Parts: sequence; structure tokens; C-alpha cells
Amino acid sequence: MKTSLPDLLINPNKFFQQALEDKEQLRYPGLIILLGAVVAAISGYFMGSLTAGMMESAMQGMGSLIVIMAVIAAFVMTFLVWIVWAGVFYLFSRIFKGSGSFNRCLEVVGYGYVPQIIGALVTVIAALEYLPRVAVPHLTSAALQNPQMIQDATTALMHDPAMLEFTQISAVISIVFLLWSANIWIFGIKQARNISMRDAAICVGLPVILLILFQVYKLAGV
Amino acid sequence: MKILTFLILITITLLAGIGGTTAYVTPESIVAAGNVYVSNVTYDPGAFFTGDTGTVTVAVTNGNANQSIVANHATFDDNDFQLTSGTYDSSSNIGPLQTRTYIFSVLTDATEGSYYPTFSLSLRDADSLFYKGMVRVDNTPLVVSLLSKPDSFTQAKKDTISVQVANPRKNEVKNVIADVSGGDGVDLLPSTQYIGRLAPGASTQVNFSVTPNHETTLNLSVKYDNGDNHHCTNLQIPVTFTPDKKRANPVMSNIAVKTESGVTHVTGDVTNAGLTVANAVTVTSLAPAVPQDPYKSYVIGALKPDDFGSFEVTFSAGNSTNIPIQLSFRDTDGNVISSTQNVTVPLFPASTQNTGFPVLPVVAVVLVVAIFVGGWFVYLKRYKQ
Repeated sequence: MKTSLPDLLINPNKFFQQALEDKEQLRYPGLIILLGAVVAAISGYFMGSLTAGMMESAMQGMGSLIVIMAVIAAFVMTFLVWIVWAGVFYLFSRIFKGSGSFNRCLEVVGYGYVPQIIGALVTVIAALEYLPRVAVPHLTSAALQNPQMIQDATTALMHDPAMLEFTQISAVISIVFLLWSANIWIFGIKQARNISMRDAAICVGLPVILLILFQVYKLAGV
Repeated sequence: MKILTFLILITITLLAGIGGTTAYVTPESIVAAGNVYVSNVTYDPGAFFTGDTGTVTVAVTNGNANQSIVANHATFDDNDFQLTSGTYDSSSNIGPLQTRTYIFSVLTDATEGSYYPTFSLSLRDADSLFYKGMVRVDNTPLVVSLLSKPDSFTQAKKDTISVQVANPRKNEVKNVIADVSGGDGVDLLPSTQYIGRLAPGASTQVNFSVTPNHETTLNLSVKYDNGDNHHCTNLQIPVTFTPDKKRANPVMSNIAVKTESGVTHVTGDVTNAGLTVANAVTVTSLAPAVPQDPYKSYVIGALKPDDFGSFEVTFSAGNSTNIPIQLSFRDTDGNVISSTQNVTVPLFPASTQNTGFPVLPVVAVVLVVAIFVGGWFVYLKRYKQ
């Protein structure tokens, strides 16, 4: 294989011309997603710890379980997101009469996930800085019976100054690195599905922009 | 003749049997006996309680300037005053213008009233001398009355109690001792005071301090001697804790609770709503709170009546939402008086930051997306050409 990581990040067109010459193989994309899943699991550990801290007084001994669940969920979700992105691009490209297998889409999405791993690492570093400063509200057993109280506690957690700052920073980071991934995916989908550059840009750009708009919507709290 | 001789012998024999002091009643001796009189009678105590013992001292004076008299027998007799010391049965000579005292010990079981026991003295050369003197039996005890005590007793607070000891009797009492006791946990000072003699109609004031650690009843016992007889009068003084109407009364108000980064700040004012100064007013949090810097406890200092001072305490509430805040102060005696007031720590910290529209992040995202879309738009145009 004559491909290189710098080409993937800086010159994806060249990267995919070389990478997709060979027969489909998901080993390297799978390893990339696995690495991404590990980094996501680390983030999940931090967020799970906050949730566990919130419920610790009401559910003694459940803190570890909550953290483990969060880690597993983040790990598994990375693989699911991989498949979902590939499926979306596959379906969109069919509109433009794209050919090529679903596995090719998976391969492309897997390679294109590298910038998001970098973004996730930056987010982990930001989490190490911000999350210890978050004042975690504690839910009592009685509060757990009251959905309004749980909602208030979650709101209080999310509106904590440190948490708010972290949420905004991580959102901006994830969007920036998602766009970087989208840039890679466009070149990959063009070649994987044998469609034009314009069609590939629409296939990838449209769902990505919609996702970003949704994230901005959430970030703005509208 | 024989009968006359027999009567003379009998008479001589009888006279010989009387002894060596044979009475010779003459007109001169009768006149001399008329000058013998009881010059003084003293009872100790001056007035008896029923059941008391005492002494009677009778002074007999021979008023003859140049003739002695001989007293054969002296006694003291009454149905209500029993003689416990016996009579004077031996003859004694009282010289001209001399006085001789006769002392008798007596015991009375009589009820209250005035009595007139009889002293009798038989003279060798004349008839007996009789004297009746008045003596009182009075069961009136000393009067112990509470002069002043605090409106209310407070635990561990020293207060002064004043009592009056008065003698309404007709005679003086002696060895008057005021003895107060209250059981364990009550400090009394002095617990015993010696008053000494108390004249009839006189009174004296006794003060003692009491520092009660629990509610009790003080027993004030006034012991005294009436003659050589011990008597006692008791007064019970209940010590119950009631709020001191004049004490300092610091009250917390205007309380605000705020939690930042896991540390709860409670601020407020303390106003002295009492009538005396509250010293060393201190505010702190109690368990389950864990006091945290910078204000683990807050010392306001002295607060005069109607004065107020602000405070701030910081603590970590943990999982608790109800935290007791302790307010303590020292009264004028240095006793520490504490009170607690619960404050409710909000379950969730209130957001202190404006959570309005996040302009900067949204602008940054829009800018990045615009660059991305614009860049691709330009790229596609060039790519097409």
C-alpha cells in the first residue's frame, strides 16, 4: 500500500486514488474506528463520572456501573456512527446513480474518521481542564422519584459555568474536525461510488451541514 | 411525875435526832428572815421551746447588815417544768448583805404560754421563803424569707439569691448558721455562713451565689441554738430554667445561600434583640457540613442591644440539603449560649453565568462552515473548468 497518513489529511484525492485501487479491505479503517472508539470511551468515562457523581447519594454503589455503561456506550456508538455515516452516504449517492459497494463506503468513512480522532483527543484534553471544575449537583433518593427534579439537576449541571464553557469549546472542536472529515469523505465517496465531485460534495456536504446546524441549534439552546 | 419525866426525855431525844443544827426560832430570827429576799431570777434560754432544757438561776440576798442566816433546803418546783438537776439539801450560811445563787436544770414539755414555777428556800431559824417568777414557752421559730432572686435561672449562669433571717422571739438565739444545699451539679457560694447571735426582733441578710447546671430545689437550712437546744428552720427555693427576660438574644436574619464550585456560602445578619450585650458572637456551620476556608467560622464580636452585624460562613454541604448554622455568644458572666438555625442548601447550584445566546461559538462555527462551503464552491467551479 502506497498510501500515507499525511496524504489522507492534506491530499485526500491522491490518497483515495491509491487506496481504492486495491480490493476492499476494512482492516485499517476498522483500526482507525477502534482507536476513535477508545478515545470516545475516555470521553465517556469523564461524562459518566459526572453523572455518577450526580446520582451517587441516591444510588449507592451504582456509580461504577454508570461509568462502565457510559464507557461501553461511547465505544459502541463510534462503530454505530461509522455504519450510519456510511449508510447515509451510500443512500445519498444512489440518488446520483452511484455504483460501488457499501463496504467501500465503510472503508472511506473509516479513513475519513482520522481528523475526528484528533478532535476527540483535543476534547479529552479540554475535559481534563474543565470537568474537575464542574460543581456536580447531587440527587437524593426522593429527587430521583421526581422527573422535574432530575431535569432541574441536569439543567444545573449543564449550566454550570465550567460545563457550559466545555460544551461550547467541544462543540466548536467537533464541528471543525467533522468538516475536515467531510472534506476527506467527499474525495473518498467520489471514487468509491464513481460519482462526480459535485455529487459527492452534495452527498457528503448535505447531511454534514444538517448535522452541524442541529449542533449549532443545540449549542445556541434555542 | 413519872409521866412528865417521860415526856421531857422523849422531847430531848427528838431534838437530839434533828442533829447539831437545832432551830431556835426567836423573834429576832423571824425579823432577820424577813430581810432575806430573791434578788434575781434568770432563765436560760429566756423563752423555751416545748421540749427544751434550760437552767434557772435564782439569786437570794441576805439584806441584814449584821446577821447571817442559815438556809437549809432550796428547791424549784412546777408541774410543767421538771427539775432535772435535784434540789439543794445541805445547809448553807448567807452572810450579812451577801447573795447566794441557786442554779437548777429544768426540762419543759409544756405548750405555748406563760408559766410561774415556784422557788422555795427553807430557813433554819424562820419560815420558808417562796418566790414565783414568770417564764415563757414560745414555739415561734426564726423566720427565713426570700428577699430577692433572679426572674429566671439559666443553665450554667451564676445568679445571686438573698434571704432574710429574722428573730421574732422574745429572747436572743445564738450560733445562727445558714446552710444551703442543692445536690450535685449546683455550685453554691458560700454554702455555709455563720451569722452568730440574733437579738429579739432583729434580722440579717444572707446572700449566696448559685450556678445551676440542671434544674433542682435549693434547701436553705437556718440552724440556731435556743439556750443549749438546737433548732432549725428550712426554706426551699426551686431552681427552674426559664428564658431570661433581659438576656441577650442574637437573631439571624437576611440569610442568603449560594453554592459555588461545591462550596456553599451563607451570608446574613445577626441582630441582638435582647436587652443585654451579647459578647463574642460567633457563627459557624455544624455537621453534616464540613467548614471550608475562607470563613470556617465568623466572629462578629460584641453586639449591644439593637445592634447588628453581618456574617459569612463557608462550608461543603456534601449530600445534605439541611445544614444547621450555630450562633453562639457569651453572656456577661462568660457563659457560652448557643442556638442553631437550619438553612436549606439548594439541591442544585444556581447558574451564575448568563446562559443566553452563545454568540462567539456560533459565529465561529458559522464562519468555519462558510469557509468550508465557500471553499468547496470555488473548488468545484475550478474543478469543472
